[in-house]
Amino acid sequence: MSSSHKTILAVGFLVLMGAAAGLGSYPVYLMSLAMINVIAAVGLNMLTGNAGQISLCHSSFMAIGAYTSTLISAHWGLPFWVSIPMGTVLAGLAGGLLGAPATRLAGIYLALATLGFLQIVQITIEELSSITGGVRGLNVPKASIAGTELSDYPKFLIIGLSCAAVIWICSNLMKSRVGREFDAVRLSPHAAQAMGLSISRIKLSAFMLSAALAGLAGGLQALLVGFIDPVEFGVSASLRHITFIVVGGMGSMGGSVLGALVLSALPEFLRPVKEYSDLIYVAILLAFLIFLPRGLITLLTSLMNRVRGIGRAAGRT
Amino acid sequence: MHPRLRLDALSVRFGGIQAVQQVSLQIAPGEIRGLIGPNGAGKTTAINAITGAVPVFSGDVFLDDTRITGLPTHAVSRLGIRRTFQHVEPFSELTLLENVLLGLSSTMNVSFAAAALHWTSARSAEKQAIEESYALLERFDLLPHAQVRAAELPFGLLKRMDLARALASRPKLLMMDEPTSGMSESEADAAIRAARELAEETGVTLLVIEHNMRVMMALAHSITVMNQGKVIAEGSPSQVQANPAVIDAYLGEESDASR
Amino acid sequence: MTTALALQLTLAGLSVGSVYALVALAIVLPFKASGVLNFGQGEVVTLGAYVALVLTQSGLPYAAVILGVLGVGLLGGWAIEYFFIRPIIRAPEFTIVIATFAIGLLIKAAISLKFGDSPNSVDGPFGMEPLLLGPVRANPTSLWIIGCTAAVTLGIVAFFKWSRLGKAMRAVSIDAQAAQLMGIRSESVYRLAWMMSTAIGAMAGLLVAPLVGVNPELGGLILRGLLAAVLGGFTSVGGALLGGLCVGLVETFSGVWLGSTFKNLMPFVVLMVVLVFRPQGFFGVGEVKRV
Repeated sequence: MSSSHKTILAVGFLVLMGAAAGLGSYPVYLMSLAMINVIAAVGLNMLTGNAGQISLCHSSFMAIGAYTSTLISAHWGLPFWVSIPMGTVLAGLAGGLLGAPATRLAGIYLALATLGFLQIVQITIEELSSITGGVRGLNVPKASIAGTELSDYPKFLIIGLSCAAVIWICSNLMKSRVGREFDAVRLSPHAAQAMGLSISRIKLSAFMLSAALAGLAGGLQALLVGFIDPVEFGVSASLRHITFIVVGGMGSMGGSVLGALVLSALPEFLRPVKEYSDLIYVAILLAFLIFLPRGLITLLTSLMNRVRGIGRAAGRT
Repeated sequence: MHPRLRLDALSVRFGGIQAVQQVSLQIAPGEIRGLIGPNGAGKTTAINAITGAVPVFSGDVFLDDTRITGLPTHAVSRLGIRRTFQHVEPFSELTLLENVLLGLSSTMNVSFAAAALHWTSARSAEKQAIEESYALLERFDLLPHAQVRAAELPFGLLKRMDLARALASRPKLLMMDEPTSGMSESEADAAIRAARELAEETGVTLLVIEHNMRVMMALAHSITVMNQGKVIAEGSPSQVQANPAVIDAYLGEESDASR
Repeated sequence: MTTALALQLTLAGLSVGSVYALVALAIVLPFKASGVLNFGQGEVVTLGAYVALVLTQSGLPYAAVILGVLGVGLLGGWAIEYFFIRPIIRAPEFTIVIATFAIGLLIKAAISLKFGDSPNSVDGPFGMEPLLLGPVRANPTSLWIIGCTAAVTLGIVAFFKWSRLGKAMRAVSIDAQAAQLMGIRSESVYRLAWMMSTAIGAMAGLLVAPLVGVNPELGGLILRGLLAAVLGGFTSVGGALLGGLCVGLVETFSGVWLGSTFKNLMPFVVLMVVLVFRPQGFFGVGEVKRV
């Protein structure tokens, strides 16, 4: 993406953020959720799409981030702008805890290990109910700045800025040696080692990075919704994140954003057939896996190339 | 002067088979050593043992004066050893440029934070890496394909990329496993010429497994011959060519084939 | 702990372990044949339970219910393999793993849509009156489950050892290319493996329904089945059986001694420890019983 494209996007983003002030609180809420999904999708895509590591427990790191930041706020009275980063860090460390043994596993064994980790986190949340509220869930202390409680629009701004920062940082990373090394681990670990790259170190950093981003998404979700419970961080949630990146395009930043935004908007369009929404969601995932595994982003880029080609040809005549 | 690479009675076993038996050799810095022998002689296994890709049964490997026996592959590589692969093992979905960039990735001094925050140090390191990679691609006549994905390119071309990628980090020792297989005569000549020029410029030590005798004789300073896991001869190309034990080993292979 | 209680718990553990063993078996079969791990197997069990529910409620005798469940299982396996697995068999592992997950969720969503989320119950074939075997009050359903599982396992072993089709499947799982050269069509073998696996999974649903009720969340069983399969090393019928029984027994006894938190967490901690330190499992039984 050229720098003029980037400037256009950045300006467009700022305009959107500003314009949203005029919208009602429900659209603003939806857009906030969408951007939280983008953060989660970006995190997962770097781990699975770039570094090639299957993870079925992405939502568990969201849970760790959400519960950590909520409990820190509730018990120590720390403000959200301290508790959410702390949740992010803790989630990242948890990613290291899983990642360290996980680097030895691949394929279905890795999938199984992440599934096991998810269950452990779920059950721990449910069983430690005196701390976490168990299956009944936990109320999140109201976020405030300088004594005033935050309403939907300021929350939207915070989430939006976090999302923009995440996209900027992760784009930088994926275009640098870090991103190339992630791809190398996925494409040919054998060759990567011969080039002096430590596969386990790279996998570990991928796990920690994606877990931290999930933790951030979880903390922001707690901030936005005001209530968390273990159900929203279960297998279905993990599969939803996987759907984001499959539909959008694995291994591509644009794919993460596209997939998360499109699928966040989907429930709104499915309103008239709400009971079928679960079914439709899964059907979409299967359809993409079978027919368009490279995701929407490939359609978009080939479309753009064709347009550019036409433009160039037109310019020549 | 100490040798760049020293193998000390190196032995590798697979199950009951002794793939490499008590192999000792020394290669001086800047030397171009050929490693030849009939199929199954243990040449590739020896290279795999040096890089840590297969476990060493007994004996030692020294790089300069450092004992590197049994170190994990990435650690061996970081000490300055690179290799090319018989089947290239390209990063298939990445472009040739990105493949070569990965060749020198481990030498890039860019921290995670610097990369994430796009600091000047990261930007200039990236710029320099790209320039070096382009220079290498040009040397091996790959410039027109720099932005093409490896998966879309023919094997012979990828073999040249493998060479460029291996040389990107300016290794002390480069081990080449059948570098010209899959190349046409003229491709092979050009690639080997480029490699030899680069070796002489940078002083990199080469250990080359090759079946193409013509290429080997033109390229190598000296040659080690292996057969059935053991070293059976060593010397200059002309010496080795005239050595009866060597002729026997190859003739043995030929008559096996004709039986 | 009295002998009677110990025996009681053993029986309970063996019966729930048998269900896990069946699920593990259903997972191991297509894995051995085609390398595909069916993460949607849990929902096949749920499907079997609901088919049993529908058929029982329509008044059919138990023998007919069994046939109905098996039929749906076989047909379902055929359909899944043909429509969903066949197109992606060459895709990267990630795609296949997620696809099988998604298929399971598809089944679950369809069932929830049709039947709602509220639990149903169905009676076992021999009623709920416990039999008295010496000091032990045995639930006839438990005995029936153990008996069926033993029969299925023996049937599978016999199938692989003596039938032509079974030997063909073993050949394909050992070396697909060589088998192809000998005229065995691997696609047919894969399809058969899937059909057998879903039939067994549906059976498991039929058997477990009287014990735990019928609801869309039955699919959670797969987690224990997966643990059993891992313990058995994914390689063998015998391994799956032993793994399942082990998990069932340990779960039942630890529930008594360690309380519910540990009982719930333990299988997953064990799973992760085994995956990291001994992914090849413990019960990989020798050549004779290998699938």
